[in-house]
Amino acid sequence: MAYSDKVLDHYNNPRNVGSFSKEDPDIGTGVVGAPECGDVMKLQLKINDRGVIEDARFKTFGCGSAIASSSYVTELVKGKHIDEAIAIKNTVIVKELNLPPVKIHCSVLAEDAIKAAIGDWKKRKGVAQADDPKGEPSRAATGSGE
Amino acid sequence: MKLQCPSCGGQQEPQLICRQCGAPLPAELDCFAALALPRRLTIDPSALEERYHELGRRVHPDRFASSAPRVRAASLAGTALLTRSYRTLRDPASRGLYWLELNGEKLAENNKQVPPELAETVFEVQEQLAELRGAPAGQDGALRREVEARRDELGASMDELREKLAYNFARWDESDGSDRAELVAELKSVLSKIAYLRTLIRDVDRELESPKAA
Repeated sequence: MAYSDKVLDHYNNPRNVGSFSKEDPDIGTGVVGAPECGDVMKLQLKINDRGVIEDARFKTFGCGSAIASSSYVTELVKGKHIDEAIAIKNTVIVKELNLPPVKIHCSVLAEDAIKAAIGDWKKRKGVAQADDPKGEPSRAATGSGE
Repeated sequence: MKLQCPSCGGQQEPQLICRQCGAPLPAELDCFAALALPRRLTIDPSALEERYHELGRRVHPDRFASSAPRVRAASLAGTALLTRSYRTLRDPASRGLYWLELNGEKLAENNKQVPPELAETVFEVQEQLAELRGAPAGQDGALRREVEARRDELGASMDELREKLAYNFARWDESDGSDRAELVAELKSVLSKIAYLRTLIRDVDRELESPKAA
């Protein structure tokens, strides 16, 4: 099966590979896996107090499509508010990278990683700022379908 | 649900080969039925292999080379089905996955969380592999030995998981169905761990076997 040019580009020149310190309170970490193929994806988001994603890093061990999906996602979420990022659907990734049907689960994995990372950040901030009046997770929470 | 043999008209349970005349039957069969095995997770590998070869001989297209096209087609389809079924059931992990499928369960459903200790191991080992990849040839002896030791540990973990899988198979075979939800969850958990570990071991082996460019 041939990979699309965009997948190959992300695979050969992955953007934002690496990790942030898990101790940094502004970092949300999401680790998700695809048990069908054994791929593991870690996505870390640096989120400021206004809920805007300032930076992103990923480490993915899996096939080219999984690596490309997470690489693309780090570019996609940067500068977005978490409410916007959490609503990102895997179909956006499928379309951008032109993924074939057998690789759609890779894009689902990347979507799940965003949700897990933001969830982790919220959890950590929720503990740290329990009485934050502008915390309004209800709307974002509805975005976690599937 | 009975099936009528198109060759001799004999009525029988759906199976690969007609019990009465030995003609290949055009039946839709699951992997267990194709191999004429009871639907049980615990399978003796040597008995499975024997059954596969025996049925393979009886359904083989060479035996029906001068038969009607309908019979030849059934022989070809039966041979393909038999091989596919054998391959699916031979490996315990793939048998377990197939079992979930037969039971209307999906491995990936509500199952995106990598067990934290396992995720930890994956990232650690992949880190080691990256180091080994980056080390100049000739100066990577210590790193290589570390990775080789890691490979042994991972192999031992895999053996443990396979034992756990066999245990879960036996539990399922003995179950009266009242603990089905728990059995499904357990089976999914073990199968997922095996998948993550298998991918990791594959990556380690590739790195250890890859000739380093000087």
